[in-house]
Amino acid sequence: MTNDRDKLRELLLDVFLLSPDEFRFDLTREEIDTWDSLGVVSLAVGIHETFGYHMSPQEATSLRGIADVMTLLSSKGFDVGQSG
Amino acid sequence: MAASVPILIERHQPSDLAALDEAWSDSSTFAFLPEKSGVAEEWIRSSVDALPDDLRRDHFALLTSGSTGRPKLVIGNKRRAEALAGLLHEVQNSEPVTMTIAALPLTYCYSFVNQWLWARRMKRRLVPTRGFAHPDEFRDALRAANAAMLCLVRVQLPLFHDVFGDETFPGVIRVHFAGGTFPQAQLGEVRQRFPSAEIFNNYGCAEAMPRLTVRRAEEGATAGDIGLPLPGIELRTPESGELQFRSPYRAVAWFDDDGLHRIEDDQWIGTGDLGGIGDRGHWRLTGRASEVFKRYGEKVSLPALLETVQTSWRGAAAFYRERDPNGEEGHVLVVAPRASDADIRSILQAFRSTHPRAQWPLRIETAGALPMLPNGKIDITALPTLDGKYVSWRQRL
Repeated sequence: MTNDRDKLRELLLDVFLLSPDEFRFDLTREEIDTWDSLGVVSLAVGIHETFGYHMSPQEATSLRGIADVMTLLSSKGFDVGQSG
Repeated sequence: MAASVPILIERHQPSDLAALDEAWSDSSTFAFLPEKSGVAEEWIRSSVDALPDDLRRDHFALLTSGSTGRPKLVIGNKRRAEALAGLLHEVQNSEPVTMTIAALPLTYCYSFVNQWLWARRMKRRLVPTRGFAHPDEFRDALRAANAAMLCLVRVQLPLFHDVFGDETFPGVIRVHFAGGTFPQAQLGEVRQRFPSAEIFNNYGCAEAMPRLTVRRAEEGATAGDIGLPLPGIELRTPESGELQFRSPYRAVAWFDDDGLHRIEDDQWIGTGDLGGIGDRGHWRLTGRASEVFKRYGEKVSLPALLETVQTSWRGAAAFYRERDPNGEEGHVLVVAPRASDADIRSILQAFRSTHPRAQWPLRIETAGALPMLPNGKIDITALPTLDGKYVSWRQRL
């Protein structure tokens, strides 16, 4: 059974077109070339579709990297683990 | 009452060529049409019968539907077309060519002028084949080729690999591409397949009957580079950005659903393509007028995106337009035959490395085959409702 951490990883690979080789949970927004304004929208929609959580625009635009996504999801009760 | 205009149907029989030769020699105007055109016979008959007196002699009519699916019967003048065939002979350095192998229907304006009429005028042999519809026959012709010319469209390229494997055909010394985007990204493959061939990008349209520019493959680096206009042909792009031409070889009129449209000598004719002049006087295409649009402020050129797809995908591919959930213009990529997950990832990586996200497709759909029009082009209008396709990737918006 896929856990929340794996689901998040798959979502991020798909939304940002990252290759498995380059993926890390501590990647920052600056390190992901496809994390642009439409990427933020895509991530927010993906989080809603995958976890059922509707991010506010403020939450979506304030994310500085994957660690922040994990912190946000953890605070909502999802077991996505730590970024390190 | 004027005599009825003869209509010749291409049935892929040996008698086709004799009938065509006879019709060309006769002073009467004739129409040359595919067996299955998808166009109502009554429409064709009523159009040719409505030809005015001055077009009922020394002319010919071919059917085209471009990529729109909207039928158009284009009327050419026999002497003009012969003059163009002679000019192409010089520009394409065809003197060493002894034969031409037809792999496309001769009812296409491209193969009609570049192959059938050229062979007739230059007294060369035309080897009729039904192309990949009868691959054994086509392969036999290619194997027996001796200083041959071949006229292709890009969508045939994957079939060479699928049907003929790695076989090479050194007897072909000229390979022409027209009728769509030039396969710049696959030139290495074309050169391997035809190691003795000079390769040409031919640009034009049915109203040009059909040629406007020609360039050798090595004279440009991008698929959009169509080279220089042929002598006597003028090109321009007015503010609308649409490439227009004037040509002494052009069609003289066309019929569509609105009736007969005559083309005047000083008239600039739109090609439906967007373009402009670039380095060394070469003209460049930037897309079809209907294939370039803005999305979230980014200019999207579907031909440029198709070029990107072709760097990582050997199969067929086409886009159709669709609005996204936010109401913005967007586009969907359809690939065929079935693409693996690795194929899709490879296409996506090509998008990522070359284009901003606003230019990425809304979805990538996979199909068994793409729907084709009778003229050999992809039927874009049938893509949205194509049976059996499925979504391989989508943007979340």
